[in-house]
Amino acid sequence: MTLAANSQEVLPLSPNRHARLPGVARPRIGTRTISVATLAALLALWFTAARLGWATPLFLPSPADVFNQFGVVLNDGYAEGTLLEHALASLGRIGAALGIGIVLGVPVGLLMGLNRWVRGVFTVPIDLYWGLPPLAYLPLLIIWLGIGESSKIVLLALSTFAPICFSAQAGVRSVPVERVNAALSLGASRLQLFTGIILPSALPEILTGLRIAVGAGLSTLVAAELIAARSGLGYMIMSAANFLATDVVFVGLIVIAALAFAFSAGLRWLERRLVPWKGKL
Amino acid sequence: MLRIQDASVTFPASDGSAVHALDRVNLDIAPNSIVVAVGASGCGKSTLLNAIAGFLPLTEGSITLDGKPIDKPGSERGVVFQKDTLLPWANVLDNVALGLKFQGVSRAERHERARGLLALVGLSDFADKPPYELSGGMRQRVGIARALATDPKILLMDEPFGALDSLTRETMQQLLAGIWAETGKQVLFITHSIEEALILGTTIVVMSPRPGRIIARFDAAFVRDFAEYGDIGPIQSAPRFIELREEIRALIHQPARSGALQ
Repeated sequence: MTLAANSQEVLPLSPNRHARLPGVARPRIGTRTISVATLAALLALWFTAARLGWATPLFLPSPADVFNQFGVVLNDGYAEGTLLEHALASLGRIGAALGIGIVLGVPVGLLMGLNRWVRGVFTVPIDLYWGLPPLAYLPLLIIWLGIGESSKIVLLALSTFAPICFSAQAGVRSVPVERVNAALSLGASRLQLFTGIILPSALPEILTGLRIAVGAGLSTLVAAELIAARSGLGYMIMSAANFLATDVVFVGLIVIAALAFAFSAGLRWLERRLVPWKGKL
Repeated sequence: MLRIQDASVTFPASDGSAVHALDRVNLDIAPNSIVVAVGASGCGKSTLLNAIAGFLPLTEGSITLDGKPIDKPGSERGVVFQKDTLLPWANVLDNVALGLKFQGVSRAERHERARGLLALVGLSDFADKPPYELSGGMRQRVGIARALATDPKILLMDEPFGALDSLTRETMQQLLAGIWAETGKQVLFITHSIEEALILGTTIVVMSPRPGRIIARFDAAFVRDFAEYGDIGPIQSAPRFIELREEIRALIHQPARSGALQ
Protein backbone atom coordinates (compact mmCIF):
# COMPACT_ATOMS: atom_id res chain seq x y z
CA MET A 1 0.00 0.00 0.00
CA THR A 2 1.04 3.53 -0.57
CA LEU A 3 0.55 6.09 2.12
CA ALA A 4 1.62 9.22 0.36
CA ALA A 5 0.89 8.88 -3.29
CA ASN A 6 -0.06 12.54 -3.60
CA SER A 7 3.30 13.86 -2.64
CA GLN A 8 3.81 17.56 -3.19
CA GLU A 9 7.49 17.07 -3.73
CA VAL A 10 8.95 17.21 -7.17
CA LEU A 11 12.20 15.82 -8.38
CA PRO A 12 14.86 18.43 -8.87
CA LEU A 13 15.94 18.79 -12.48
CA SER A 14 18.75 16.44 -13.30
CA PRO A 15 21.85 18.26 -12.09
CA ASN A 16 23.66 20.30 -14.67
CA ARG A 17 27.24 19.33 -15.27
CA HIS A 18 28.15 22.99 -15.41
CA ALA A 19 26.51 25.09 -12.77
CA ARG A 20 25.24 28.41 -14.04
CA LEU A 21 24.01 31.50 -12.26
CA PRO A 22 20.26 31.79 -12.57
CA GLY A 23 19.19 34.20 -15.25
CA VAL A 24 22.48 33.94 -17.14
CA ALA A 25 21.86 32.65 -20.65
CA ARG A 26 24.12 29.96 -22.16
CA PRO A 27 26.99 31.83 -23.82
CA ARG A 28 27.31 31.48 -27.58
CA ILE A 29 31.01 30.47 -27.40
CA GLY A 30 31.89 27.67 -24.98
CA THR A 31 34.97 27.59 -22.75
CA ARG A 32 36.34 24.60 -24.65
CA THR A 33 36.15 26.46 -27.97
CA ILE A 34 38.07 29.38 -26.44
CA SER A 35 40.77 26.99 -25.14
CA VAL A 36 41.20 25.28 -28.51
CA ALA A 37 41.38 28.67 -30.27
CA THR A 38 44.07 29.80 -27.82
CA LEU A 39 46.13 26.69 -28.54
CA ALA A 40 45.75 27.29 -32.28
CA ALA A 41 46.82 30.94 -31.87
CA LEU A 42 49.94 29.92 -29.92
CA LEU A 43 50.87 27.41 -32.63
CA ALA A 44 50.29 30.05 -35.30
CA LEU A 45 52.52 32.47 -33.39
CA TRP A 46 55.26 29.82 -33.23
CA PHE A 47 54.99 29.20 -37.01
CA THR A 48 55.10 32.92 -37.73
CA ALA A 49 58.00 33.59 -35.38
CA ALA A 50 60.04 30.78 -36.97
CA ARG A 51 59.10 31.75 -40.54
CA LEU A 52 59.94 35.42 -40.09
CA GLY A 53 63.13 34.62 -38.19
CA TRP A 54 62.25 36.57 -35.02
CA ALA A 55 64.60 34.30 -33.08
CA THR A 56 67.53 32.12 -34.17
CA PRO A 57 66.79 28.34 -34.37
CA LEU A 58 69.11 27.93 -31.37
CA PHE A 59 66.53 29.67 -29.21
CA LEU A 60 63.37 28.81 -31.10
CA PRO A 61 63.52 25.95 -33.61
CA SER A 62 60.85 25.96 -36.30
CA PRO A 63 57.85 23.60 -35.99
CA ALA A 64 59.11 21.77 -39.07
CA ASP A 65 62.54 21.19 -37.49
CA VAL A 66 60.94 19.89 -34.30
CA PHE A 67 58.66 17.62 -36.30
CA ASN A 68 61.60 16.25 -38.33
CA GLN A 69 63.65 15.78 -35.19
CA PHE A 70 60.70 13.92 -33.65
CA GLY A 71 60.93 11.39 -36.46
CA VAL A 72 64.70 11.11 -36.10
CA VAL A 73 64.55 10.61 -32.32
CA LEU A 74 61.71 8.16 -32.71
CA ASN A 75 63.54 5.99 -35.29
CA ASP A 76 67.26 6.49 -34.74
CA GLY A 77 67.21 7.60 -31.11
CA TYR A 78 69.14 10.20 -29.18
CA ALA A 79 71.45 9.88 -26.18
CA GLU A 80 71.83 6.09 -26.25
CA GLY A 81 68.15 5.32 -26.81
CA THR A 82 65.11 5.82 -29.01
CA LEU A 83 62.31 8.14 -27.91
CA LEU A 84 60.21 5.11 -27.00
CA GLU A 85 62.99 3.67 -24.82
CA HIS A 86 63.43 6.97 -22.99
CA ALA A 87 59.68 7.37 -22.53
CA LEU A 88 59.34 3.79 -21.29
CA ALA A 89 62.25 4.28 -18.86
CA SER A 90 60.50 7.33 -17.42
CA LEU A 91 57.09 5.67 -17.35
CA GLY A 92 58.54 2.58 -15.68
CA ARG A 93 60.04 4.71 -12.91
CA ILE A 94 56.90 6.70 -12.23
CA GLY A 95 54.71 3.61 -12.57
CA ALA A 96 56.79 1.70 -10.02
CA ALA A 97 56.84 4.73 -7.71
CA LEU A 98 53.08 5.27 -7.95
CA GLY A 99 52.53 1.57 -7.28
CA ILE A 100 54.64 1.74 -4.12
CA GLY A 101 53.02 5.03 -3.12
CA ILE A 102 49.51 3.61 -3.43
CA VAL A 103 50.25 0.21 -1.88
CA LEU A 104 51.91 1.82 1.16
CA GLY A 105 50.25 5.23 1.26
CA VAL A 106 46.59 4.17 1.23
CA PRO A 107 46.75 1.69 4.13
CA VAL A 108 49.08 3.84 6.22
CA GLY A 109 46.88 6.88 5.60
CA LEU A 110 43.69 4.96 6.45
CA LEU A 111 45.27 3.68 9.66
CA MET A 112 46.42 7.21 10.51
CA GLY A 113 42.84 8.36 10.11
CA LEU A 114 41.48 5.53 12.29
CA ASN A 115 44.04 5.28 15.07
CA ARG A 116 45.67 8.07 17.02
CA TRP A 117 48.75 5.95 17.82
CA VAL A 118 49.48 5.35 14.14
CA ARG A 119 48.75 9.01 13.45
CA GLY A 120 51.07 10.11 16.25
CA VAL A 121 53.93 7.91 15.06
CA PHE A 122 53.77 8.71 11.34
CA THR A 123 52.79 12.40 11.19
CA VAL A 124 56.11 13.91 12.21
CA PRO A 125 58.47 11.90 9.94
CA ILE A 126 56.19 12.35 6.92
CA ASP A 127 55.74 16.08 7.61
CA LEU A 128 59.52 16.49 7.96
CA TYR A 129 60.55 14.86 4.68
CA TRP A 130 57.51 16.09 2.71
CA GLY A 131 58.57 19.65 3.48
CA LEU A 132 61.94 19.07 1.80
CA PRO A 133 62.41 19.54 -1.93
CA PRO A 134 62.95 15.97 -3.24
CA LEU A 135 66.12 16.95 -5.08
CA ALA A 136 67.65 18.06 -1.78
CA TYR A 137 67.71 14.49 -0.48
CA LEU A 138 68.42 12.79 -3.81
CA PRO A 139 72.21 12.97 -3.17
CA LEU A 140 71.68 11.19 0.16
CA LEU A 141 69.63 8.48 -1.53
CA ILE A 142 72.38 8.07 -4.14
CA ILE A 143 74.97 7.63 -1.35
CA TRP A 144 72.76 5.03 0.30
CA LEU A 145 71.39 3.20 -2.72
CA GLY A 146 73.80 3.98 -5.55
CA ILE A 147 73.28 5.75 -8.87
CA GLY A 148 71.03 2.99 -10.30
CA GLU A 149 67.27 2.75 -10.56
CA SER A 150 66.56 2.11 -6.89
CA SER A 151 67.58 5.58 -5.69
CA LYS A 152 65.32 7.25 -8.27
CA ILE A 153 62.38 4.96 -7.62
CA VAL A 154 62.68 5.47 -3.86
CA LEU A 155 62.85 9.24 -4.40
CA LEU A 156 59.70 9.16 -6.54
CA ALA A 157 57.93 6.75 -4.22
CA LEU A 158 58.61 9.12 -1.32
CA SER A 159 57.21 12.07 -3.26
CA THR A 160 54.03 10.16 -4.18
CA PHE A 161 53.59 8.42 -0.80
CA ALA A 162 53.03 11.57 1.26
CA PRO A 163 50.14 13.11 -0.70
CA ILE A 164 48.38 9.73 -1.05
CA CYS A 165 48.88 9.00 2.64
CA PHE A 166 47.66 12.44 3.78
CA SER A 167 44.63 12.33 1.52
CA ALA A 168 43.63 8.85 2.71
CA GLN A 169 43.92 10.13 6.28
CA ALA A 170 41.87 13.24 5.44
CA GLY A 171 39.32 11.00 3.72
CA VAL A 172 38.80 8.95 6.86
CA ARG A 173 38.64 12.05 9.05
CA SER A 174 36.04 13.65 6.78
CA VAL A 175 33.51 10.80 7.05
CA PRO A 176 30.44 12.43 8.64
CA VAL A 177 29.90 11.13 12.17
CA GLU A 178 26.15 10.79 11.44
CA ARG A 179 26.95 8.40 8.58
CA VAL A 180 29.00 6.23 10.95
CA ASN A 181 26.29 6.36 13.62
CA ALA A 182 23.64 5.48 11.05
CA ALA A 183 25.62 2.40 9.97
CA LEU A 184 26.19 1.34 13.59
CA SER A 185 22.50 1.68 14.40
CA LEU A 186 21.76 -0.53 11.38
CA GLY A 187 23.93 -3.18 12.97
CA ALA A 188 27.23 -2.79 11.09
CA SER A 189 30.19 -4.71 12.52
CA ARG A 190 33.57 -2.96 12.73
CA LEU A 191 34.72 -4.65 9.52
CA GLN A 192 31.46 -3.80 7.71
CA LEU A 193 31.78 -0.22 8.95
CA PHE A 194 35.28 0.01 7.47
CA THR A 195 34.68 -1.70 4.12
CA GLY A 196 31.09 -0.54 3.62
CA ILE A 197 31.21 3.04 4.91
CA ILE A 198 34.64 4.46 5.69
CA LEU A 199 36.57 3.19 2.68
CA PRO A 200 34.05 4.34 0.04
CA SER A 201 33.58 7.65 1.90
CA ALA A 202 37.34 8.24 1.76
CA LEU A 203 37.68 7.26 -1.91
CA PRO A 204 37.09 10.75 -3.42
CA GLU A 205 39.82 12.20 -1.19
CA ILE A 206 42.18 9.32 -2.04
CA LEU A 207 41.71 9.99 -5.78
CA THR A 208 42.39 13.69 -5.21
CA GLY A 209 45.59 12.66 -3.43
CA LEU A 210 46.48 10.46 -6.40
CA ARG A 211 46.21 13.46 -8.72
CA ILE A 212 48.54 15.46 -6.50
CA ALA A 213 50.88 12.47 -6.32
CA VAL A 214 51.04 12.16 -10.11
CA GLY A 215 51.87 15.87 -10.40
CA ALA A 216 54.54 15.69 -7.70
CA GLY A 217 55.91 12.45 -9.18
CA LEU A 218 56.21 13.80 -12.72
CA SER A 219 58.08 16.94 -11.71
CA THR A 220 60.38 14.99 -9.39
CA LEU A 221 60.95 12.35 -12.09
CA VAL A 222 62.15 14.74 -14.76
CA ALA A 223 64.26 16.72 -12.30
CA ALA A 224 65.90 13.52 -11.03
CA GLU A 225 66.60 12.37 -14.58
CA LEU A 226 68.18 15.71 -15.41
CA ILE A 227 70.67 15.18 -12.58
CA ALA A 228 71.34 11.50 -12.24
CA ALA A 229 70.27 9.11 -14.98
CA ARG A 230 71.46 7.31 -18.12
CA SER A 231 68.00 7.06 -19.67
CA GLY A 232 64.62 8.73 -19.56
CA LEU A 233 63.03 11.83 -21.01
CA GLY A 234 64.77 14.16 -18.55
CA TYR A 235 68.15 12.64 -19.44
CA MET A 236 67.38 13.03 -23.16
CA ILE A 237 66.53 16.71 -22.67
CA MET A 238 69.66 17.35 -20.62
CA SER A 239 71.90 15.61 -23.18
CA ALA A 240 70.30 17.60 -25.99
CA ALA A 241 70.76 20.84 -24.08
CA ASN A 242 74.48 20.07 -23.59
CA PHE A 243 74.83 19.94 -27.39
CA LEU A 244 72.49 22.93 -27.90
CA ALA A 245 70.08 20.66 -29.82
CA THR A 246 67.11 22.87 -28.99
CA ASP A 247 64.78 20.96 -31.33
CA VAL A 248 65.36 17.72 -29.38
CA VAL A 249 64.71 19.63 -26.15
CA PHE A 250 61.38 20.68 -27.65
CA VAL A 251 60.57 17.08 -28.62
CA GLY A 252 61.24 15.95 -25.03
CA LEU A 253 59.10 18.73 -23.57
CA ILE A 254 56.19 17.98 -25.88
CA VAL A 255 56.30 14.27 -25.00
CA ILE A 256 56.35 15.07 -21.26
CA ALA A 257 53.44 17.48 -21.71
CA ALA A 258 51.50 14.79 -23.58
CA LEU A 259 52.22 12.25 -20.82
CA ALA A 260 51.08 14.66 -18.12
CA PHE A 261 47.91 15.38 -20.08
CA ALA A 262 47.24 11.65 -20.52
CA PHE A 263 47.72 11.00 -16.79
CA SER A 264 45.37 13.82 -15.92
CA ALA A 265 42.72 12.66 -18.39
CA GLY A 266 43.04 9.10 -17.13
CA LEU A 267 42.54 10.18 -13.54
CA ARG A 268 39.52 12.29 -14.47
CA TRP A 269 38.07 9.22 -16.19
CA LEU A 270 38.80 7.13 -13.10
CA GLU A 271 37.03 9.70 -10.91
CA ARG A 272 33.97 9.69 -13.11
CA ARG A 273 33.89 5.90 -13.01
CA LEU A 274 34.62 5.35 -9.31
CA VAL A 275 33.11 8.36 -7.52
CA PRO A 276 30.34 9.80 -9.70
CA TRP A 277 28.69 11.07 -6.49
CA LYS A 278 31.67 13.30 -5.57
CA GLY A 279 30.49 16.70 -4.31
CA LYS A 280 26.85 15.66 -4.58
CA LEU A 281 26.07 14.66 -1.03
CA MET B 1 8.86 -1.47 26.38
CA LEU B 2 11.72 0.96 26.59
CA ARG B 3 12.46 2.05 30.15
CA ILE B 4 14.67 4.99 31.08
CA GLN B 5 15.53 5.22 34.76
CA ASP B 6 17.31 8.14 36.43
CA ALA B 7 19.32 8.76 33.26
CA SER B 8 21.96 11.50 33.58
CA VAL B 9 24.60 12.61 31.10
CA THR B 10 27.34 14.99 32.18
CA PHE B 11 29.95 16.51 29.86
CA PRO B 12 33.07 18.33 30.94
CA ALA B 13 32.83 21.92 29.64
CA SER B 14 35.81 23.78 28.20
CA ASP B 15 36.20 25.83 31.41
CA GLY B 16 36.44 22.62 33.48
CA SER B 17 32.94 22.79 34.95
CA ALA B 18 30.36 20.07 34.32
CA VAL B 19 27.48 20.43 31.85
CA HIS B 20 24.39 18.50 32.88
CA ALA B 21 22.99 17.68 29.46
CA LEU B 22 20.54 15.24 30.98
CA ASP B 23 19.50 15.21 34.64
CA ARG B 24 17.74 12.19 36.21
CA VAL B 25 15.29 11.55 33.40
CA ASN B 26 12.63 8.87 33.90
CA LEU B 27 10.55 7.83 30.92
CA ASP B 28 8.76 4.73 29.65
CA ILE B 29 7.94 4.19 26.01
CA ALA B 30 5.29 1.50 25.65
CA PRO B 31 4.50 -0.44 22.49
CA ASN B 32 2.05 1.31 20.20
CA SER B 33 2.88 4.76 21.54
CA ILE B 34 4.59 7.81 20.12
CA VAL B 35 6.49 9.75 22.74
CA VAL B 36 7.44 13.21 21.56
CA ALA B 37 10.09 15.18 23.43
CA VAL B 38 9.74 18.91 22.83
CA GLY B 39 11.82 21.78 24.16
CA ALA B 40 14.16 24.63 23.36
CA SER B 41 17.70 24.06 22.06
CA GLY B 42 19.99 22.59 24.69
CA CYS B 43 17.23 20.96 26.72
CA GLY B 44 18.83 17.54 26.27
CA LYS B 45 16.25 16.03 23.94
CA SER B 46 18.85 14.99 21.37
CA THR B 47 21.17 13.78 24.14
CA LEU B 48 18.32 11.57 25.36
CA LEU B 49 17.85 10.12 21.88
CA ASN B 50 21.59 9.59 21.36
CA ALA B 51 21.80 7.75 24.68
CA ILE B 52 18.90 5.46 23.73
CA ALA B 53 20.46 4.86 20.31
CA GLY B 54 23.69 3.90 22.08
CA PHE B 55 25.83 6.66 20.53
CA LEU B 56 26.48 8.20 23.93
CA PRO B 57 27.06 6.52 27.31
CA LEU B 58 25.00 7.52 30.33
CA THR B 59 26.90 9.01 33.25
CA GLU B 60 24.31 7.57 35.64
CA GLY B 61 21.09 5.61 35.43
CA SER B 62 19.99 2.94 33.01
CA ILE B 63 18.09 2.37 29.80
CA THR B 64 16.58 -1.02 29.05
CA LEU B 65 14.65 -2.33 26.07
CA ASP B 66 12.40 -5.24 27.01
CA GLY B 67 14.55 -5.71 30.09
CA LYS B 68 17.88 -5.77 28.26
CA PRO B 69 20.28 -2.93 29.09
CA ILE B 70 21.47 -0.73 26.22
CA ASP B 71 25.19 -0.11 25.91
CA LYS B 72 25.87 0.23 22.18
CA PRO B 73 24.02 0.94 18.91
CA GLY B 74 21.96 -1.89 17.53
CA SER B 75 19.46 -2.63 14.79
CA GLU B 76 16.57 -3.25 17.20
CA ARG B 77 16.57 0.55 17.63
CA GLY B 78 16.10 2.21 14.21
CA VAL B 79 17.32 5.82 13.98
CA VAL B 80 16.12 8.53 11.60
CA PHE B 81 18.45 11.51 11.60
CA GLN B 82 17.77 15.17 10.88
CA LYS B 83 20.63 15.31 8.40
CA ASP B 84 20.19 12.75 5.71
CA THR B 85 22.77 9.99 6.09
CA LEU B 86 22.12 8.01 2.92
CA LEU B 87 25.10 6.55 1.10
CA PRO B 88 25.67 8.51 -2.13
CA TRP B 89 27.33 5.56 -3.92
CA ALA B 90 24.34 3.25 -3.45
CA ASN B 91 20.94 3.62 -5.10
CA VAL B 92 17.76 4.12 -3.11
CA LEU B 93 16.95 0.38 -2.97
CA ASP B 94 20.39 -0.58 -1.67
CA ASN B 95 20.25 2.24 0.88
CA VAL B 96 16.98 0.86 2.26
CA ALA B 97 18.46 -2.65 2.27
CA LEU B 98 21.69 -1.60 4.04
CA GLY B 99 20.77 -2.92 7.49
CA LEU B 100 19.67 -6.25 6.00
CA LYS B 101 22.99 -6.46 4.14
CA PHE B 102 24.83 -6.00 7.45
CA GLN B 103 22.75 -8.87 8.85
CA GLY B 104 23.81 -11.12 5.97
CA VAL B 105 20.37 -11.37 4.34
CA SER B 106 20.64 -12.60 0.74
CA ARG B 107 20.55 -10.01 -2.02
CA ALA B 108 17.25 -11.22 -3.50
CA GLU B 109 15.49 -11.29 -0.16
CA ARG B 110 16.74 -7.93 1.07
CA HIS B 111 15.78 -6.28 -2.22
CA GLU B 112 12.30 -7.76 -1.99
CA ARG B 113 11.85 -6.44 1.54
CA ALA B 114 13.30 -3.05 0.57
CA ARG B 115 10.83 -2.82 -2.32
CA GLY B 116 7.96 -3.40 0.10
CA LEU B 117 9.20 -0.57 2.31
CA LEU B 118 9.68 1.77 -0.65
CA ALA B 119 6.05 1.14 -1.54
CA LEU B 120 5.10 1.97 2.05
CA VAL B 121 6.79 5.37 1.84
CA GLY B 122 5.54 5.98 -1.70
CA LEU B 123 8.87 5.81 -3.53
CA SER B 124 8.50 2.66 -5.61
CA ASP B 125 9.44 4.48 -8.79
CA PHE B 126 12.75 5.73 -7.37
CA ALA B 127 14.40 2.44 -6.39
CA ASP B 128 17.20 2.77 -8.97
CA LYS B 129 17.93 6.48 -8.44
CA PRO B 130 20.98 7.70 -6.53
CA PRO B 131 19.92 9.58 -3.37
CA TYR B 132 21.35 12.91 -4.57
CA GLU B 133 18.73 13.05 -7.31
CA LEU B 134 15.93 13.05 -4.71
CA SER B 135 14.40 16.04 -2.92
CA GLY B 136 14.95 16.53 0.82
CA GLY B 137 11.55 15.10 1.72
CA MET B 138 12.09 12.04 -0.45
CA ARG B 139 15.48 11.40 1.17
CA GLN B 140 13.85 11.45 4.59
CA ARG B 141 11.32 8.91 3.33
CA VAL B 142 14.21 6.69 2.27
CA GLY B 143 15.74 7.24 5.73
CA ILE B 144 12.51 6.10 7.39
CA ALA B 145 12.26 3.06 5.10
CA ARG B 146 15.89 2.19 5.88
CA ALA B 147 15.30 2.43 9.62
CA LEU B 148 12.21 0.18 9.31
CA ALA B 149 13.99 -2.43 7.17
CA THR B 150 15.56 -4.29 10.09
CA ASP B 151 12.13 -4.37 11.79
CA PRO B 152 13.29 -2.51 14.92
CA LYS B 153 11.30 -2.56 18.14
CA ILE B 154 11.54 1.20 18.47
CA LEU B 155 12.00 4.04 16.02
CA LEU B 156 14.13 6.96 17.23
CA MET B 157 13.56 10.13 15.21
CA ASP B 158 15.79 13.15 15.83
CA GLU B 159 14.01 16.21 14.38
CA PRO B 160 13.59 14.29 11.11
CA PHE B 161 11.37 16.90 9.47
CA GLY B 162 13.11 19.98 10.89
CA ALA B 163 14.91 20.85 7.66
CA LEU B 164 11.88 20.44 5.39
CA ASP B 165 9.55 23.13 4.06
CA SER B 166 6.18 23.34 5.81
CA LEU B 167 4.15 21.67 3.04
CA THR B 168 6.53 18.72 2.78
CA ARG B 169 6.67 18.50 6.57
CA GLU B 170 2.90 18.08 6.72
CA THR B 171 3.01 15.28 4.14
CA MET B 172 5.76 13.56 6.12
CA GLN B 173 3.86 13.88 9.41
CA GLN B 174 0.91 12.25 7.71
CA LEU B 175 3.16 9.48 6.37
CA LEU B 176 4.60 8.82 9.83
CA ALA B 177 1.18 8.77 11.49
CA GLY B 178 0.04 6.27 8.84
CA ILE B 179 3.08 4.04 9.30
CA TRP B 180 2.66 4.16 13.04
CA ALA B 181 -1.01 3.21 12.84
CA GLU B 182 -0.08 0.43 10.40
CA THR B 183 2.88 -1.07 12.28
CA GLY B 184 2.21 -0.15 15.91
CA LYS B 185 5.91 0.60 16.46
CA GLN B 186 6.96 2.46 19.55
CA VAL B 187 8.41 5.78 18.53
CA LEU B 188 10.50 8.43 20.23
CA PHE B 189 10.24 11.66 18.26
CA ILE B 190 12.32 14.76 18.98
CA THR B 191 11.14 18.17 17.83
CA HIS B 192 11.24 21.83 18.72
CA SER B 193 7.81 22.41 17.19
CA ILE B 194 4.98 22.34 19.74
CA GLU B 195 2.38 21.81 17.00
CA GLU B 196 4.30 18.86 15.59
CA ALA B 197 4.58 17.38 19.08
CA LEU B 198 0.81 17.61 19.61
CA ILE B 199 -0.10 16.28 16.19
CA LEU B 200 2.16 13.23 16.46
CA GLY B 201 2.44 12.35 20.15
CA THR B 202 0.41 9.96 22.24
CA THR B 203 2.61 11.25 25.05
CA ILE B 204 4.30 14.63 24.97
CA VAL B 205 7.18 15.31 27.35
CA VAL B 206 8.29 18.92 27.74
CA MET B 207 11.98 19.35 28.48
CA SER B 208 13.89 22.35 29.79
CA PRO B 209 17.60 23.18 29.58
CA ARG B 210 20.40 23.54 32.14
CA PRO B 211 20.09 20.89 33.43
CA GLY B 212 18.22 18.98 30.73
CA ARG B 213 15.18 17.42 32.39
CA ILE B 214 11.52 16.61 31.87
CA ILE B 215 9.32 19.31 33.38
CA ALA B 216 5.89 18.14 32.25
CA ARG B 217 4.04 15.28 30.54
CA PHE B 218 0.80 15.32 28.61
CA ASP B 219 -1.25 12.57 27.03
CA ALA B 220 -2.86 13.34 23.71
CA ALA B 221 -4.75 11.40 21.06
CA PHE B 222 -4.75 13.78 18.11
CA VAL B 223 -2.45 11.43 16.20
CA ARG B 224 -5.19 8.77 16.02
CA ASP B 225 -7.55 11.17 14.26
CA PHE B 226 -4.70 12.39 12.14
CA ALA B 227 -3.76 8.84 11.08
CA GLU B 228 -7.38 8.06 10.28
CA TYR B 229 -8.52 11.22 8.48
CA GLY B 230 -5.21 12.75 7.44
CA ASP B 231 -6.54 16.28 7.81
CA ILE B 232 -4.52 18.61 9.98
CA GLY B 233 -6.83 21.65 9.87
CA PRO B 234 -9.70 20.53 12.16
CA ILE B 235 -7.24 19.07 14.65
CA GLN B 236 -5.27 22.28 14.96
CA SER B 237 -8.41 24.37 15.53
CA ALA B 238 -9.86 22.08 18.20
CA PRO B 239 -10.14 23.93 21.56
CA ARG B 240 -8.27 21.15 23.42
CA PHE B 241 -5.38 21.38 20.92
CA ILE B 242 -5.08 25.15 21.32
CA GLU B 243 -5.30 24.87 25.10
CA LEU B 244 -2.49 22.30 25.26
CA ARG B 245 -0.40 24.25 22.77
CA GLU B 246 -0.56 27.41 24.89
CA GLU B 247 0.15 25.49 28.07
CA ILE B 248 3.27 23.88 26.57
CA ARG B 249 4.38 27.17 25.07
CA ALA B 250 4.18 28.81 28.50
CA LEU B 251 6.18 25.95 30.05
CA ILE B 252 8.93 26.16 27.44
CA HIS B 253 9.29 29.93 27.73
CA GLN B 254 9.09 30.04 31.51
CA PRO B 255 12.66 28.95 32.36
CA ALA B 256 14.04 31.32 29.74
CA ARG B 257 12.24 34.23 31.42
CA SER B 258 13.35 33.34 34.92
CA GLY B 259 16.86 32.88 33.56
CA ALA B 260 16.78 36.33 32.01
CA LEU B 261 15.82 37.86 35.36
CA GLN B 262 18.79 36.39 37.20
